[in-house]
Amino acid sequence: MRLQEWIRSTDRSEGGCVDYNFAFLDEGAKREIRRKTLKAVAIPGYQVPFGSRELPIARGWGTGGLQLTLSLIGSSDVLKVIDQGSDDSVNAVNIRKFIESVTGVALTTNTLEASLIQTRHRIPEEPLNEKQILVFQVPIPEPLRFVEPSERETRRMHAEADYSPMWLYLYEDIVRFREITIGARYPVMVNRRYVMDPSPIPRWDVPRLHMAKALYLFGAGREKRIYAIPPFTRVEPLEFDDYRFRVESFEGRCCARCGARNTFLDEVPDDDTGGRTFMCSDTAHCEKRRSGEAPSP
Amino acid sequence: MKQPLLRVRNLSKIFGPGCPRCAADTGPEAGTNICPHCRSVVACHDIGFDLHTDEVLGVVGESGSGKSTVLRLLHFDWEATAGEVMLYENGRSPDGGGTGFDGVNLLSLGSYRQRMIRNRIMGIVFQNPHLGLKMHISSGGNIAERLLAAGWRHVGEIRRQAGELLERTEVPRARMDEPPKHFSGGMQQRVQIAKALSNSPAILLLDELTTGLDVSVQARVLDLIRRLHREMQVATLVVSHDLGVVRMLTRRTLVMKCGRIVEAGLTDQILEDPRHPYTQLMVSSML
Repeated sequence: MRLQEWIRSTDRSEGGCVDYNFAFLDEGAKREIRRKTLKAVAIPGYQVPFGSRELPIARGWGTGGLQLTLSLIGSSDVLKVIDQGSDDSVNAVNIRKFIESVTGVALTTNTLEASLIQTRHRIPEEPLNEKQILVFQVPIPEPLRFVEPSERETRRMHAEADYSPMWLYLYEDIVRFREITIGARYPVMVNRRYVMDPSPIPRWDVPRLHMAKALYLFGAGREKRIYAIPPFTRVEPLEFDDYRFRVESFEGRCCARCGARNTFLDEVPDDDTGGRTFMCSDTAHCEKRRSGEAPSP
Repeated sequence: MKQPLLRVRNLSKIFGPGCPRCAADTGPEAGTNICPHCRSVVACHDIGFDLHTDEVLGVVGESGSGKSTVLRLLHFDWEATAGEVMLYENGRSPDGGGTGFDGVNLLSLGSYRQRMIRNRIMGIVFQNPHLGLKMHISSGGNIAERLLAAGWRHVGEIRRQAGELLERTEVPRARMDEPPKHFSGGMQQRVQIAKALSNSPAILLLDELTTGLDVSVQARVLDLIRRLHREMQVATLVVSHDLGVVRMLTRRTLVMKCGRIVEAGLTDQILEDPRHPYTQLMVSSML
């Protein structure tokens, strides 16, 4: 039976599927993932290995984040799923539909209403609060993979806080290009102890990891790792005293749809005129501003 | 008598399972460092010496006598089987260039602390520049690695320090951003020395530093070491099989054979009046 047929054939009257456990994973699997999540929260920035389960989507398509979401979700949760800021792209829609079909929870695109948000490569523009959890999908959880291919070696480096090769990489970048050229996936120091990969979020979002009110969880399904930034944790991007970390600049640009000047913008090429326009990457927030629900810049 | 900087006692390293008879049946008398019972290699056994601030101590011996093993153990690259390495900083505080581990057996510390101590007070130069340098990263970057490990976070200051060190070791400052793989062997060795000196170490470990260089370059590297020692007064351990190097650089020397120290004393005394048969053989084979 194909997945779509199976989903259609299931009875959702009791808040889930008849043949499957609530939230797809069996209770044992959920317990294991929750246990590993607790450990990750207890050691901010430390990568906790976990037994990544098989899911109806392929590894590398958000299975790490999905397993975190499925293990945490309860029937009273309100779920939002975004892919690079957008609620409507394929990855987000598929994951949202799947979670809905196996849990029957309420869905939303409004960041402020959601209790649980799964995201790929963005943090929503609107600030999150203490009652919200943001789940990141992570392709490569190891920040030291740039500089050290061996897993055994990177684990030793984390254990001994031996981060000089990472710093050396940044130094060489400055020597060659006069600035640090890392765009997304900018390495951060969590709680002054572990260097962590914040998943491929733009540099724009990095400052919002620092002392945040919400709980940030990171899941890498293919690499089988979970890590976390608990609320109110120090998260500092690696930077030199004379070459500071800086976010992307949208100087002189604004969103073509809502006119925002203080949001992260996507560049959209126009094939007809050969020109470029800029639009908010966070579509739900953009829509809110257009309808006048959110404050103007 | 003055307190030494490092006091090494009973230092041993055995590769293999080891057995109670390893120590007794290896060594210079047995003529081997492979235990006949368990086939373990006794790389060094019962090594003891003091290293004082501002002295240069030589370690000589043939290949396989355990000289480099001693150095690797002091640099925490390998874990010692037994023994202790006491550090005495004469009450220097962590702010005054100390480590905060005055009077502590360094071998009893965990690898995290050992790394910290190594970054703060040790510098090492290997025989092969490939071991000490990253060949594809700029020379300045190689020096920066040490400084970054010691907590430097200002690119301008790092570059100034690296440039000064390269100049002192006679590498043109203009070639700072070139990788060492473009350099000659002697120049690579000088970059390695600059890297080793970058954190102003209290202890400098030199492992066969002139082997493989031609004589004129050898002479310049040795001159450099002598000059740097005069200027910086760093406790130096010179491991070499070349008696000429040891004669030129050191005041005191240890002679090793089959993993044991067979003779120790003033360098000129050892070279003029060798006591142990092996030392006599070694001195008489000098060109």
